[in-house]
Amino acid sequence: MGHRKYELYSMDWDLKEELRDCLVAAAPYGGPIALLRNPWRKEKAASVRPVLEIYSASGMPLASLLWKSGPVVSLGWSAEEELLCVQEDGVVLVYGLHGDFRRHFSMGNEVLQNRVLDARIFHTEFGSGVAILTGAHRFTLSANVGDLKLRRMPEVPGLQSAPSCWTTLCQDRVAHILLAVGPDLYLLDHAACSSVTPPGLAPGVSSFLQMAVSFTYRHLALFTDTGYIWMGTTSLKEKLCEFNCNIRAPPKQMVWCSRPRSKERAVVVAWERRLMVVGDAPESIQFVLDEDSYLVPELDGVRIFSRSTHEFLHEVPVASEEIFKIASMAPGALLLEAQKEYEKESQKADEYLREIQELGQLTQAVQQCIEAAGHEHRPDMQKSLLRAASFGKCFLDRFPPDSFVRMCQDLRVLNAVRDYHIGIPLTYSQYKQLTIQVLLDRLVLRRLYPLAIQICEYLRLPEVQGVSRILAHWACYKVQQKDVSDEDVARAINQKLGDTPGVSYSDIAARAYGCGRTELAIKLLEYEPRSGEQVPLLLKMKRSKLALSKAIESGDTDLVFTVLLHLKNELNRGDFFMTLRNQPMALSLYRQFCKYQELETLKDLYNQDDNHQELGSFHIRASYAAEERIEGRVAALQTAADAFYKAKNEFAAKATEDQMRLLRLQRRLEDELGGRFLDLSLHDTVTTLILGGHNKRAEQLARDFRIPDKRLWWLKLTALADLEDWEELEKFSKSKKSPIGYLPFVEICMKQHNKYEAKKYTSRVGPEQKVKALLLVGDVAQAADVAIEHRNEAELSLVLSHCTGATDGATADKIQRARAQAQKK
Amino acid sequence: MAFPHRPDAPELPDFSMLKRLARDQLIYLLEQLPGKKDLFIEADLMSPLDRIANVSILKQHEVDKLYKVESKPAVSSSEQLCFLVRPRIKNMRYIANLVNADKLAGRTRKYKVIFSPQKFYACEMVLEEEGIYGDVSCDEWAFSLLPLDVDLLSMELPEFFRDYFLEGDQRWINTVAQALHLLSTLYGPFPNCYGIGRCAKMSYELWRKLEDEEDGETKGRRPEIGHIFLLDRGSVDFGPEVTSSDKSLKVLLNAEDKVFNEIRNEHFSNVFGFLSQKARNLQAQYDRRRGMDIKQMKNFVSQELKGLKQEHRLLSLHIGACESIMKKKTKQDFQELIKTEHALLEGFNIRESTSYIEEHIDRQVSPIESLRLMCLLSITENGLIPKDYRSLKTQYLQSYGPEHLLTFSNLRRAGLLTEQAPGDTLTAVESKVSKLVTDKAAGKITDAFSSLAKRSNFRAISKKLNLIPRVDGEYDLKVPRDMAYVFSGAYVPLSCRIIEQVLERRSWQGLDEVVRLLNCSELAFTDMTREDKASSESLRLILVVFLGGCTFSEISALRFLGREKGYRFIFLTTAVTNSARLMEAMSEVKA
Repeated sequence: MGHRKYELYSMDWDLKEELRDCLVAAAPYGGPIALLRNPWRKEKAASVRPVLEIYSASGMPLASLLWKSGPVVSLGWSAEEELLCVQEDGVVLVYGLHGDFRRHFSMGNEVLQNRVLDARIFHTEFGSGVAILTGAHRFTLSANVGDLKLRRMPEVPGLQSAPSCWTTLCQDRVAHILLAVGPDLYLLDHAACSSVTPPGLAPGVSSFLQMAVSFTYRHLALFTDTGYIWMGTTSLKEKLCEFNCNIRAPPKQMVWCSRPRSKERAVVVAWERRLMVVGDAPESIQFVLDEDSYLVPELDGVRIFSRSTHEFLHEVPVASEEIFKIASMAPGALLLEAQKEYEKESQKADEYLREIQELGQLTQAVQQCIEAAGHEHRPDMQKSLLRAASFGKCFLDRFPPDSFVRMCQDLRVLNAVRDYHIGIPLTYSQYKQLTIQVLLDRLVLRRLYPLAIQICEYLRLPEVQGVSRILAHWACYKVQQKDVSDEDVARAINQKLGDTPGVSYSDIAARAYGCGRTELAIKLLEYEPRSGEQVPLLLKMKRSKLALSKAIESGDTDLVFTVLLHLKNELNRGDFFMTLRNQPMALSLYRQFCKYQELETLKDLYNQDDNHQELGSFHIRASYAAEERIEGRVAALQTAADAFYKAKNEFAAKATEDQMRLLRLQRRLEDELGGRFLDLSLHDTVTTLILGGHNKRAEQLARDFRIPDKRLWWLKLTALADLEDWEELEKFSKSKKSPIGYLPFVEICMKQHNKYEAKKYTSRVGPEQKVKALLLVGDVAQAADVAIEHRNEAELSLVLSHCTGATDGATADKIQRARAQAQKK
Repeated sequence: MAFPHRPDAPELPDFSMLKRLARDQLIYLLEQLPGKKDLFIEADLMSPLDRIANVSILKQHEVDKLYKVESKPAVSSSEQLCFLVRPRIKNMRYIANLVNADKLAGRTRKYKVIFSPQKFYACEMVLEEEGIYGDVSCDEWAFSLLPLDVDLLSMELPEFFRDYFLEGDQRWINTVAQALHLLSTLYGPFPNCYGIGRCAKMSYELWRKLEDEEDGETKGRRPEIGHIFLLDRGSVDFGPEVTSSDKSLKVLLNAEDKVFNEIRNEHFSNVFGFLSQKARNLQAQYDRRRGMDIKQMKNFVSQELKGLKQEHRLLSLHIGACESIMKKKTKQDFQELIKTEHALLEGFNIRESTSYIEEHIDRQVSPIESLRLMCLLSITENGLIPKDYRSLKTQYLQSYGPEHLLTFSNLRRAGLLTEQAPGDTLTAVESKVSKLVTDKAAGKITDAFSSLAKRSNFRAISKKLNLIPRVDGEYDLKVPRDMAYVFSGAYVPLSCRIIEQVLERRSWQGLDEVVRLLNCSELAFTDMTREDKASSESLRLILVVFLGGCTFSEISALRFLGREKGYRFIFLTTAVTNSARLMEAMSEVKA
């Protein structure tokens, strides 16, 4: 079985306590280590307040704080690298990487009453969960502390004492609990408790002392009181292997040590002074532990740290094994040798190279070296492997360079973060699993902004995902520095961020506001180019009027409307109106809304502005849209007229008063004459009267409303012609001299196809229109005479154009003659 | 296209993609409500919808029955109701009534509201106030660009004009910005931008903001369209003494539509007679034209009227109208109207024209026509003299009803029908002078007159830009020589002239005086910051954006300009409009 262990760091942390006296939590992916001296276990030191200390994986102190809250049962890191401290009373306190208190939450009343006996922090694809075993031997869990939903698990029948061991599993996206009571195993899901039996478990087990679930929740290991280890799938459907280590003492820790996609199964078991790697091989690998050690399961191995060292134990990757196996003839191994010989300027280089080439394995060799380089921790090893790869590449025609380039880049990043100052000992596999984005987040979390930015620039990440994001985080951190003045912070941030794309000043401002720095927030918002983004925060900060102007600036009417409604609730009506008054855009928007939804408010708005003109219009509209009764309509009109007078719009006022008179009159006409008069225009009212034969009334009305003569004549003319009351029409035409001339009479008669009547009027048509009139009644000959008499060229042409066919032949000739004569002169 | 372009004219981008996008999104939205459902459609959306997805497509996606959203409630038995509406408050009320009626009856159904082109917070507010916010699900159908023709995109938002220019409501600006953003994502980037007017500027800035937020998307792409030109229909503030340019134009344009047919009748009456004969023959076929799109109609007309060449394309759009006008009135009436319009345009015989308008009103010829003439008078004369202003309004109210008091208030606010400020009474003198000048056509006095005439912005602009070309002899319509051909050589649309001038100069430089007269000194902008990757072909492809609507005359004039100069214009308008529609938008009607 190929496992190897190498040192990550020699720890120079100055531990005051022994690890065994502390609650310890180390985050996966090379994460930080938290230590809390556990005074509550020993009665004697209860008076001394313990210290919570946080270190990087390399032992650099990150935070140290005096623990002032209640007794802690368990510590654990969330996926976001937040430290969760589970107190005995079920309250979970959340701290940041730098010991900054974030928030707290409770695991519920039941937990509070029965106290916490034991707790586990676990990770699922949704986030980080907390599982609690209470004093009443019941389990409560929350699968995601970011979205806290407490689930109380079903009771385990007959459970009288704490289980000998337990763990959380995650299957089909649901969190379960597996617990061992004596020789029995129970699986708890949120609905039921079921008894389970691992297949192929050796007989004679009377209790389980330890259990371990693999990093990916796929495998389970059970350690029994007989010193026997069962390894199988988490579903408990399949046994993978077993091992008998013949040690009956309960191990301190047991964790899986496997590599993704590897067929090898291995579990690392730790006792006080002994470390054992067991798998399906008959022999185990044993290490002696010189000091108190702690195991941290990782995706592809196990980290082991103690007072003085921090090591990594893992299964040797295939590529590395092939290359470094003693006397290996693998292509990678040969290539590495070739390169070494080449450097020594030995001709052996050529021999090795030929050997690989003869087998046609050079491509494979290069790939092997590149891959193996990724798994090496020491830069000199990485270099020599990469050098070998590069050397081999020279002899290949078409080897795509990207895998080599990418590996160089990745290793450069990895070496940078592995540096003990940074202290993130990521392996290549972990790094790929974590992704560069998350790694950058973690650097940001450690406030390592310059390094993060360097990495972004080195990898040429797009600004929005890379540099901008980091700068924004930096700014959010910066605003929390309370000892720096608002001006300085704002300036510093703006200097650094400028208008980098993708930086949201409003987010930074929101953070500033979160720290109670409203003034700073407002200053920062000034840098936000998208005014729409400023609005929500301004509203939150109760700067509604500023929010309004920003919303207007944004051009987004919906945003303006949102602010308006906010203002409406926040201010009293008077102030609200005053605010609107200074913002015409918002005012028109609100008016539009009121027009449909709140007519009364609209009126108030006009009133407030002393906008009498609009107020008048408002009441006019009301007079025919809202009011039904005639009295109401007249009253509305009266109000309108008053408003128009105030607006110094006498015209409108008078027109409105006329309309009031007309309405009343129309009402009377309806009462007295029947028929429909209401809502007719004045013109139509008079017409209706004439058509109804009420000439007297019509004339009275015309006089009352001072209808101009011209209009009255047109009106009567049209009405009488419609009635075909030719007698009355003639009488009318003779009543006095027509103000509209007599051509309209001719026209209207012709329109009714009454040539006889039309002819009556042609003689009275004035000389200018005589030709037109004569042509209308079809008297072409006479028209020609008149035109000739007038000596008017235009009239002559007009008549000529009316000369059709033989009948008018003579007339046409006459005109032509007249024309010729005129030209002679 | 039925008429030839210069061989080097660039190809138009393919806008059918916009239709496909809209259709796919609509189908996606419909499928969000699986199962059979009844679809309630707002009347305004029916014809645009029809161009995007016909009934059979709707049926394929389990739309059972179609209803029109109108004042009376519809009886639908479906378990799922889907509403496709514009974001208007009255629609929300309609939906609320329906849902609340169901609630009273103890009935539970699924309701989905699809807002097109976007939803507004105010609408959601109303749904909330009506207590049904939780009962309906809301979605947006971001369908804002309807290709009406190969070179014409319409947003189909006729209310844009009233909302923005009358009510000062800016909510559609965002929609415009979104539409521009979509266009630039699909066909952009646009290297050169010009604009004039407040609304244009706001739309432009909002659009740029959108582009910046999503930066990088269009970067490095070769521009397909070289220039974008934003024009707003009220490029000036609404004030009592300021006449807004482009709106004035619109009235003029349409006044001129008829001038096109009638003016210089010595020359044109034959054509007109022929046309009206032709039109009558075609009437039967024209009745079918509702079902046709513009392109079909265009082909149709151009084939039928081959001998009359391209100007008849425009004429064909008006032929129906002319027909009906011919039927309604005697030919004489119509000629009078045209004469008056022309007189107003050139600024002579003001008194006579005013009497003509008065008679027009007295005889109740047509409320919209009367209003249009009044506006034309006001715009060309920079406001009515107080006496006329009062008397015409009084006459109008007597003829057409008192509610038009509000119409006048609207028109005044929009600057379309105003009273001359006391200092401006000089116009009376002017008009006398002008009468003299025009009648005797004395060139020397013209200059003196023009300096006097500066009081009227319209006259000054018209002079400055030579909008009313002085033509010696007859204007041969068969061989158009400038954009004025759309109005028989009588008038060049201002918007088109401005575009021509700016394109020539590649900026507003040298047009300061015009810009000042338009009251847009701070609102004219040029942005040529884009990297100069534009090919010479793309530089001749120009997107013209009309905020507030444009007329077919403007489109035709620019198409002509394009043919002359080897440009291709693409038109994006909030709606295709004309003077009657404009007047209707301003009119107050009894509910």
